[in-house]
Amino acid sequence: MKTMNNLTRRSFLKVVGGVTAGFALGCFPSTATSAGTETAAKAATDPFTPNAFISILPNGQITVTITRTDMGQGVRTSFAMLVAEELDADWSKIGVRQAGASSVGENGQGTGGSSSTTSMHNDLRKMGAGARSMLVAAAAKTWGVDAATCHTDTGRVIHSSGKSLTYGELAETAKGMPVPSGDIKLKARADFKIIGKRTSRIDNKAVVDGSAIYGMDVKVPGLLRAVISRRPNYGATLLTVDDAAAHKVPGVVDVVKISSGVAVVATNTWSAMQGRDALKVTWSPGPNAMLDTPKLRASLKAAVGEHKPTPAGAKVVEAAYDLPYLAHATLEPMNATAWVKDGECTIWAPTQSPDSARGEAARLLNMPEDKVTVHLTLVGGGFGRRSMNDFVHEAVEISNQLKKPVQVVWSRDDDLRNDHYRPMSHHAFRGAVDSVGKPVAWSHQALNAPGRGKAGKFGEANIPYNIPNSGMTEGGVSSPIPFGYWRSVEHSQIHVVNECFIDEMAHAAGKDPFKFRHDLIDDDRLKKVLEVAAEKSGWGAPLPPGHGRGIACFEGYGSYAAHVIELSVIAGKIKLLRAVCVIDCGLAINPSGVEAQMQGACSDGLATALHAEITVDKGQVVQTSYFDYEWIRIDEMPKQEVYIIESNAEPGGMGETGYPSVMPAVANAVFSATGKRVRKFPIRMNELV
Amino acid sequence: MRTIGWRAVYHIDTGETHIMAVYKIKVNGTEKSVEAAADMPLLWVLRDLLGLTGSKYGCGVGSCAACAVLVDGKEKKSCMVNIADVANASITTIEGISQDHSHPLQQAWIEHDVPQCGYCQAGQIIAAAGLLKQKPHPTDADIDKALSDHICRCGTYQRIREAIHAAAKGNA
Repeated sequence: MKTMNNLTRRSFLKVVGGVTAGFALGCFPSTATSAGTETAAKAATDPFTPNAFISILPNGQITVTITRTDMGQGVRTSFAMLVAEELDADWSKIGVRQAGASSVGENGQGTGGSSSTTSMHNDLRKMGAGARSMLVAAAAKTWGVDAATCHTDTGRVIHSSGKSLTYGELAETAKGMPVPSGDIKLKARADFKIIGKRTSRIDNKAVVDGSAIYGMDVKVPGLLRAVISRRPNYGATLLTVDDAAAHKVPGVVDVVKISSGVAVVATNTWSAMQGRDALKVTWSPGPNAMLDTPKLRASLKAAVGEHKPTPAGAKVVEAAYDLPYLAHATLEPMNATAWVKDGECTIWAPTQSPDSARGEAARLLNMPEDKVTVHLTLVGGGFGRRSMNDFVHEAVEISNQLKKPVQVVWSRDDDLRNDHYRPMSHHAFRGAVDSVGKPVAWSHQALNAPGRGKAGKFGEANIPYNIPNSGMTEGGVSSPIPFGYWRSVEHSQIHVVNECFIDEMAHAAGKDPFKFRHDLIDDDRLKKVLEVAAEKSGWGAPLPPGHGRGIACFEGYGSYAAHVIELSVIAGKIKLLRAVCVIDCGLAINPSGVEAQMQGACSDGLATALHAEITVDKGQVVQTSYFDYEWIRIDEMPKQEVYIIESNAEPGGMGETGYPSVMPAVANAVFSATGKRVRKFPIRMNELV
Repeated sequence: MRTIGWRAVYHIDTGETHIMAVYKIKVNGTEKSVEAAADMPLLWVLRDLLGLTGSKYGCGVGSCAACAVLVDGKEKKSCMVNIADVANASITTIEGISQDHSHPLQQAWIEHDVPQCGYCQAGQIIAAAGLLKQKPHPTDADIDKALSDHICRCGTYQRIREAIHAAAKGNA
């Protein structure tokens, strides 16, 4: 990440050039929205642009350039808040603009791993503070006074005499002020007016009036839509195409072969879909045509090796857990729009990695990267899926053949069957507790399909608990089902089952699962979230028959989470009753956003505990819609309570942190209610042990 | 059906005929005419022919309800309704709820900061609008029943409930 000093006006002008190229085409609707009205890109006067992230117009409108993808985690709002705080701006004047690929010269614009805030918050604050000092200098010059006699408040520079000028009024003069270098003083937390305040998402107005532009909503004159006929199983290769019937569907304009299949291109999406149905395509099935989930599951179990030895005389505890493949199933299916013409390529895409999309397109087209422009749209859910740009690749391939603007649309079944999946895995545990209930060994073998890590090599156990003789090995088996990053990545497996097994250890030790964990933890912040979860949930208070509480915790991405789930199991049916979610993410920049991430991660945890599962049959993913890849719906959602720990620590990541402790809390609650253990997810009552 | 014209697309080599027709529909209070195949789902008429992209495609098979619109005041999944079936109907999409964010549901959605990615929210608001027409003061159970077809992949359900209650109270 470049810092304030080299991200100067010059690089900003480059950004504006890149971004406004879309406006010049007259076809790309702005994704710029503001707390007030649509941010002007139309103003007659040039803005004051102290750095690559901020522009201030004479009318007072401030635009913050956002260099990360907002897929629902609220980064367009929290980044703007960070800048606005140090700028001491009037929040109602703040708008945002989405940067295209590489347009701010920032190295690597990918969004993932809960890294946006942790990597950017200080730089964004410095950008705001630097701009503020230039506005103060401009006011001091205007008045002929010492800058030290001026202060700022809510978008104005105020002199000690009481006179004041707005940032808009100062924009022109501020252009001539030197860009500050060296250490820039940031506000003390006690002085925050915006950071730490619940702030409604900056895109909310556009969302609730239908004007928000997601990937599929991009409007380009003459835009064609393409739907792709894809392989019937992993590894199949294309044999023959009979497109006569497809051509006869009204609206179909072309049928082209691309690397991933046969694309039917039409004047509208429905015609493209009808055209795809009318295609007659034959495939050679290849080597994976008989692959299915039971075979993969069996091969994972067969890959279990030796455990770390347990001390003699200790009570051995053993358990094995199975996790399924998971799709991302973002509600906006994969799609991208590309227009290749005259040696240039323009892309509009809902992607988590615009830089990679640009590089990939340039390589595909054998074009220099600067001939490829990537506009980032709003994103209808990411969860890691859009770190891959396969859908962008397809749009570029098709447009390159037609030299026309083409939007590739994945149908829901395309999306579920062509994901990059959270791997399925098998986890074999052996632990031991001594005669006084103290854990004395922990061995975890995590086996994935496709495999990860070096099988048989024990490393750190990756647990927050003080347990001697602990270790974990990762390995697995080969699988043609492609690997993908999914919310909390490997923690969606490793920590989920760790938190199930520590509960089993607690039971074997005859200890309360909350106290057992608490006694084994050194980290005060992790202890604290557990304590708050226990306290708020009424941990230990009696429950009616058939009811249960489960607890779990997680530390990662610079943040700490704990959950207590309360549920009932009556007549073989799980009913979720209450979810107590506790988070310590350090400084909560937008508490509303932090709470939303906890609610969302909780929803994901409940959905994957109870429903979601991708299975494979005859070399193909079975699931095709939300009817068979079930997600949690409103009528199953229990009351969620989110508690945010006040903290002076640096901001931690939020996208992933709330997920890993939800599923085990559900499983542990099922044990509390029934006395039976969950060893396989999603939870099915007839599979309890 | 208020069809005002037909056009047969005839394929000379196969003799197959696809019937295209011009339909007049009322969308957000405005009469529109579109030429489409009779079986074209309303969703694609709205999105691709009329440029009203507020109604979202999520699944095309009625499993997510991101495409919900009001047809004569009643919630329908626009991916499951053909253009020919709604030619006489009055359709309200998210764009027709209000363009100035003055509708109590829009205000409540902003106030309660409901959206995460936002992609499902048009459908959720439409469903809530349909519900409030039937039950001006719904309970949680009423909300859960009315919105249970709607997937929110981000998990905003709790805030959806809160926002509907707030809109119903008129104190958003």
